[in-house]
Amino acid sequence: MPTDNLILGIDLGTTFSLVAYVDEAGPHVIRDENGDGRVPSVIGLTPGPPGERPQITIGWPARRRAVENARTTVYSVKRLIGKGIADLERELPFLAYAVRPGPRDTVQIEIEGRYYSPEEISSIILRALRERAEAHLGLPVSKAVITVPAYFDDAQRQATRDAGAAAGLEVVRIVNEPTAAALAYGLGVRPAPHAAKSAGEPGRFSLPTPTCPTTSAEKSGPAAGQTVAVYDFGGGTFDVSILRIEDGVFQVLSTAGDTHLGGDDVDRTLITLVTREVAEQFDVSITSPTTKQALRSLAEEIKIRLGQQPQADLELDLGKGRIYRRTVTRDEFEQLAWPLVERTLAFCGQALRDAGLKPADIDQAILVGGSTRIPLVRRRVGEFFGRPPYTALNPDEVVAIGAAIQASILAGRRPDMLLLDVTPLSLGIETMGGAMGKLILRNTTIPCRATEMFTTFVDGQTAIKLNVLQGERELAADCRSLGEFILDGLPPMPAGLPKVEVEFLLDANGILNVSAKELRSGKQASIQIIPSHGLTRDEVERITRESIEFAQRDMTAHRRIDLLNQVEFDTHKTEQMLAKVGHRLDAAERQRIEADIGALRQFAQQTDDLDELYRRLTAFGHGTLHLAELGIREALVQTKDDKP
Amino acid sequence: MPSPLFCDHCHSLYPADGLDHFALLGLTPQYDLDPAELRQRYLQVSRGVHPDYHGTGAQSATSLQVSAQLNEAHRVLSDPVLRAEYLLELTGGPPATADKTVEREVLCVAFALREEIAEAKAGGDSAALEACRARVQRMYDETRARIAQLARQLPGDADVRQRLRAALNSIKYTRKLQSEL
Repeated sequence: MPTDNLILGIDLGTTFSLVAYVDEAGPHVIRDENGDGRVPSVIGLTPGPPGERPQITIGWPARRRAVENARTTVYSVKRLIGKGIADLERELPFLAYAVRPGPRDTVQIEIEGRYYSPEEISSIILRALRERAEAHLGLPVSKAVITVPAYFDDAQRQATRDAGAAAGLEVVRIVNEPTAAALAYGLGVRPAPHAAKSAGEPGRFSLPTPTCPTTSAEKSGPAAGQTVAVYDFGGGTFDVSILRIEDGVFQVLSTAGDTHLGGDDVDRTLITLVTREVAEQFDVSITSPTTKQALRSLAEEIKIRLGQQPQADLELDLGKGRIYRRTVTRDEFEQLAWPLVERTLAFCGQALRDAGLKPADIDQAILVGGSTRIPLVRRRVGEFFGRPPYTALNPDEVVAIGAAIQASILAGRRPDMLLLDVTPLSLGIETMGGAMGKLILRNTTIPCRATEMFTTFVDGQTAIKLNVLQGERELAADCRSLGEFILDGLPPMPAGLPKVEVEFLLDANGILNVSAKELRSGKQASIQIIPSHGLTRDEVERITRESIEFAQRDMTAHRRIDLLNQVEFDTHKTEQMLAKVGHRLDAAERQRIEADIGALRQFAQQTDDLDELYRRLTAFGHGTLHLAELGIREALVQTKDDKP
Repeated sequence: MPSPLFCDHCHSLYPADGLDHFALLGLTPQYDLDPAELRQRYLQVSRGVHPDYHGTGAQSATSLQVSAQLNEAHRVLSDPVLRAEYLLELTGGPPATADKTVEREVLCVAFALREEIAEAKAGGDSAALEACRARVQRMYDETRARIAQLARQLPGDADVRQRLRAALNSIKYTRKLQSEL
């Protein structure tokens, strides 16, 4: 396999993250020893000794210990990335960990007096995925395609890219999750429905040959052209994208969604119900992080059980002998979830309108994301589009597979495929009077650009400040500010004379690039960007540097574990030999070796000086050479004696 | 017609400076065009210039610029009204900022309609409102037909260009009326 340009495909999810790649045999999701490709997007940060960095646990172990370590476990960080504290008002009461305002309009997560940006937490997950891939492939990997919800704005996309950089990954493309799913669907990639359960079996999929990407329509996606709706209801976000798929071309016609509408919100309807009833019955308000976390896990479990059975029992220990018990029926649950599902359908309606289509024009409604396992969702989507939804894709894995396919396009291995995506939000600038002046409309194919002329108001003015916005509302205050863009270094001229042409360019990642030129002087203006909801260049560099130190520490931790294992092995082996051939040593040597065993074990347990431990381990080996020789000789004699 | 943007053999990209939307897509500059051919050209040129194929190479900046231009060309040319507006610009017709004339008959009808709409809204008469909506739609369709008929005559004489300008202003005006409904 050509490994020099291998690019990973990463689905960085709210609840689960996955990593995949493509080789000659097709796309592969990289799985753990249980055959599961999913890594829970959960980080445990157990405080270390004073002055030391915390112990980090990632994935399943962190998720399993989330209740006991409620305050030090971070989950659903994707809902915080690229956001300000004001955006998260509805979010914060449900989080068991502490969130506080960060620099500018960002947030930070506080764990035991240390502050982490959402980018930092995401980078820990990304680094774990990268290491998983490197261990599986047996080679270093430095490039990745990372997926984001289609409805992510510029700040959220940039933040995701920054998190990748901090994990030592060059993010060669940010790709929209529903688009990635459509790629996998369009190529007819269908992981086995129970792939996650087939332990030990590496998932193998096959891709049709590049020259004929649409063969055997029955089994492998669209034959002639198709118009599809990808309904992506994940753990934290909802997207719907309408695509035209034809002759290897994947053209997104429109997209709509909400980056704060997912399975988490469905769970929260149950959490709210229980919290209310507990308050009524026991006069207890649930505030402790541990109970909050326990309730969160419980709500998720109830939701999953109600997917398979008509009712589920719920029990919550409130301490002091108070136990809250209740049966939740599916009908009751569906009533709670109903408004959320209806909201997703309203977005489907909007996406269809923007594409100039009606539900009947959709050939296939493709379900993606864990929340599409909810029977109510399947039923309502089917009713909306007037056809049973397409559920043959593994909703957990299809996005990672799509990301890997996009990675193979970027690596130049799929010249037959063309992906055309759109920007989900209109882009504009704040005009005089606080209005939003739109320059690029939502659902415009990317890359796209717009230029606008600006001038000065004061004689000799050398800088112009712009407030760049994303959103659909009329007023600048109701749109999202991407930050202040300061065009600097204009030649001093009388007011109104400079002609500054500013170019707003949305690249294929949906990320904004701004450049400016004063036309009279032909001088390129420099642009300083103060991001509203993201990190500055300096902050990204700091995280990157620190994570390299982290990596160094991880190496140290690995080495320590290896050395301790070696100490255990060597001392144990020596004890065995003493028992067998110890009687052949003189008493002094035997006593010395016994003392050496004790001393080495004790030193290994308390030291942090790994170089010294290594030196002592080597010395111990030399000190037991004589015994080892006796042992070998004995073994040889025995072997001879055993022979007939 | 081969694309002026890239070499079919070595995939080298050329900057698209100074190329108009039609030239970019290898099309003859005229109002009537076959939507299927437009789409096919657009996809064909996209395959040559899209950043997915030039992403990490030295040509990534050119690819980004050309792709953005290409997408803009496709957006403008696939919409009949934008296409007429663009052709008018190419043939030296008056821009919307210089000539704001709206056609007389459109103004008259709109004036009467505005009153009827206000009345229907105040009285909660949904049938009357629906009738107004249908009339605005008819006005829109008729204006569009006029735009097409005038745009086919481009470059034409100054009178044709001025009348097209007025028709284009009228359709904007009608759209505003539509959004108020």
